[in-house]
Amino acid sequence: MTLQTNIADIVSVSVVGQVANPVLSGLPAEPYRLDVEGKAFLWPTFGGIVYNVSVGDSVYGWSGDCVHPGVSIAHPDANKNRGLNIFACVGNEALVVSGAAQGAKGVVTGKSGRFSDQVIVHFDEATRREIAVDDRILVRSEGVGLAVPDCPDVSFKSLSPSLFEKLPKRLNDGVLEMGVVAVVPPHFVGAGAGLTSEGGSLHIQSTDRNELASQGLHALRLGDVVAFQDTDSRYNHGYLRGAMSIGIVGQTDGPRAGYGPGCTMVMTAPAGQLDCYDAPGTNIADILGLRP
Amino acid sequence: MASPRTNETTLVEMAVSGIVTTPAVRPGQYIPHPDGRGAVLPGMYGVTYNVRCGDRAFGWAGDHVEPGVSIDDDGHSGRHHALHYLNCIGNDAMVTSGMAAGARGIVVGEHARILVQFDPDTHDKMAPGDRVQVMTKGQGLRLEDYPGVALKKMSPRLFHTMGVTESAGRLHVNVAIELPVRIMGSGAELNSEYVDQDLMSGDRALMAELGIDQMRLGDLIAIRHADHHWGRSYREGAVSICLCIHGDSIMTGHGPGILTLMTARDGEIDFTIDPGANIATLLNLGA
Repeated sequence: MTLQTNIADIVSVSVVGQVANPVLSGLPAEPYRLDVEGKAFLWPTFGGIVYNVSVGDSVYGWSGDCVHPGVSIAHPDANKNRGLNIFACVGNEALVVSGAAQGAKGVVTGKSGRFSDQVIVHFDEATRREIAVDDRILVRSEGVGLAVPDCPDVSFKSLSPSLFEKLPKRLNDGVLEMGVVAVVPPHFVGAGAGLTSEGGSLHIQSTDRNELASQGLHALRLGDVVAFQDTDSRYNHGYLRGAMSIGIVGQTDGPRAGYGPGCTMVMTAPAGQLDCYDAPGTNIADILGLRP
Repeated sequence: MASPRTNETTLVEMAVSGIVTTPAVRPGQYIPHPDGRGAVLPGMYGVTYNVRCGDRAFGWAGDHVEPGVSIDDDGHSGRHHALHYLNCIGNDAMVTSGMAAGARGIVVGEHARILVQFDPDTHDKMAPGDRVQVMTKGQGLRLEDYPGVALKKMSPRLFHTMGVTESAGRLHVNVAIELPVRIMGSGAELNSEYVDQDLMSGDRALMAELGIDQMRLGDLIAIRHADHHWGRSYREGAVSICLCIHGDSIMTGHGPGILTLMTARDGEIDFTIDPGANIATLLNLGA
């Protein structure tokens, strides 16, 4: 269904970043990270141009740690990077403005938080092959300030108005219900709790694989829309009975404790004003027609 | 009752130095309440004169209040990490410069800085920039008969005062409060030897229902289904024993800080609620 938004009042502004290079820490303990069993591992992680992982693919099974599909960008200045990370919204259009792929268009599909702070952009694989690390990518940011007058208690963040319009939803007795692939219980809320909810990511813990399967979270794909139960994301992410947040899966699973698939959180309400219903297959790769 | 065997005699005791920090505030540094109201509150860094280990964790007009003296070496990453990874709760500390030189204190917590408590007269004489040296001992401590139990930031001194007993192949620990795993929040992304994980106190009604709002700084804490071996994550059946090290927060996803002391995955740890299980008493920290 279509809901009236304040789209006419939303300010669209440019933000820019550069294609990020992967980074690793120095001697002596690194480059290894520790998995939840205490075993050292060395796998690709965030950053860079990822050629063979795309929105729509499974989040599980990759030899990688919270990998960003497609292209990750960041601004070298911390404050400007914060501007990029907060204003860029899932569904926004991106434009390559330097390098061999200049002029190519992509779509923002996610963000990452503490320790990486990057914006994740989808380009088709042919474009990815032309993009180089340090190329500049502009995002026509649009979405911060989004509101729905009929649902004044629902906060929107990191969500482009055009993507919101296309997401499955219904209004039920004043409660906005979003179609989701799965519901994350509060005991699976991991890295990202307590951190800003205007950017970054909130991770679904995946250490306990049996519990993961019993919650129906074992078949997630990048781009899936999920709900977080009892989670208040108005100002930071945290536990609150009756609250709900909606996230879009943006990063793959990883083997570290407290981590797992990372989500960009796009909607939240504190006391039952936001709910969800089963809508299997709800994925932004299909909704936005993103093809590898 | 039997007390578990440790490898205490093999531990290496080593000095690591830090300096007393001073509060740092950025321009416009309002922090938001859950409904968005902004606030500016003290609590972190420096010498905290009127909040001590053993005092209440909730109800201060402060945020993340750190009891005692907060020390760090924020100018040098290697020294910072040495301080963080080698210090253990209950370690001795000594002031090595300034007006309070020679005074002795005890490590009572680790936040983004190491929290050391001295007697109030010593706090009155200390100044930001003074050097404090921790005689670190405890990394490497383990229980010989319990390979599935990990000890974190546990000095031998604290371990002995906790009075951990064993019966029927399990360890028994007294704790002041049990926390539900679903409210464990900020810090899930950190190693379990580094800093802490906040409980999420934003559901104020739940804090009151479960008596969590009675928590005191220094309380021993138990959490079921929390595996803190290498990082912190949900694992059914695991039990972690922790320590409350800093005060409550107004921010969503935050609350009193909970630092890992012991963890086991397969039922090796059992616990009993004892409201007096607080390190201010166990370590004789005084008023």
